[in-house]
Amino acid sequence: MLTDARVLELVRAERRDEAIALLLPAFRRKVFGLAYSFLRDREAAEDVTQEVFIKVWRALPGFDGRASLSTWIYAIARNASLSALRARRSHSSLSDSEVMDAVEAIDPAPSADAIVDRAALLRLVDQLPTKQRQVIMLFYMEEQSHEGVANMLAMPVGTVKTLLHRARTRMSAAAGK
Amino acid sequence: MTTPDSELDKHLQALFGGLDTGADFDARLMARLRAESQIDATERAMRARQQERARYRRALMELQSWRRSMLRLLTLDTLGIALLLVVAVVTAWPHLSRDVMDISRQYGPYIATLLGVLIAAVPLLGMWAEQTRRPIRLL
Repeated sequence: MLTDARVLELVRAERRDEAIALLLPAFRRKVFGLAYSFLRDREAAEDVTQEVFIKVWRALPGFDGRASLSTWIYAIARNASLSALRARRSHSSLSDSEVMDAVEAIDPAPSADAIVDRAALLRLVDQLPTKQRQVIMLFYMEEQSHEGVANMLAMPVGTVKTLLHRARTRMSAAAGK
Repeated sequence: MTTPDSELDKHLQALFGGLDTGADFDARLMARLRAESQIDATERAMRARQQERARYRRALMELQSWRRSMLRLLTLDTLGIALLLVVAVVTAWPHLSRDVMDISRQYGPYIATLLGVLIAAVPLLGMWAEQTRRPIRLL
């Protein structure tokens, strides 16, 4: 079972590979989701996720356990995502082909109707301000946990709730047009 | 009855709920980590070699500086003191009584050894004095 103490124990015993093997199933999807919420590009998000785990592997001997492992890993993931975002040319919204790619990336075999619905929904999400968009993506990826999203984005739970409410209201209004 | 919000929730859940990496992600990552691990081991060995080389260079320099200071003390201080001792012994020799001469004949090798040790200790004492000398303080 994954606990911070168990990971620290493995690191002290110079068994970093085992520590990573323990961390990977617990954090892979969350780190990928966090990177995807910044980058909105599946390949770039996967690359960042790989970089994050390599950075974690390298930095594990220096992890002192003062912060929790999840807080530490999410901080590395946020920094890596922001660096990747700065490195690539920023674009304000997704093109049609990018929307289709993104829908296929999320679900590789959707029905034709689902493609249309999801593409429309993804466009609505894409038009949200950055923080609202990130909260929406992570909230529905994280099985609707406000605390989980707050931890990933390093913001108070109240802020997550406010951003989520604003995003939902905005999306409902846009969908009703 | 479903509200528009719960419909939106359902659609968003369907859109983002399955968000995950590709199937071969773990295998690719573990392969990269294995490669990193090898690089890490090579780097560590190289760093250890460099540290050992630096330590050897430092030790060699310390030894050379110690030799230099010994030679310096030998040429200046020791030779002067040795000369003074020889002059003192040669001057005092004719004035010594027969008893003293007998004793010196009997214990000659011991006295010579003692003198040798004292002469050899002079540079060391000089070095010790140099190391423990404190800087001059004004007031």
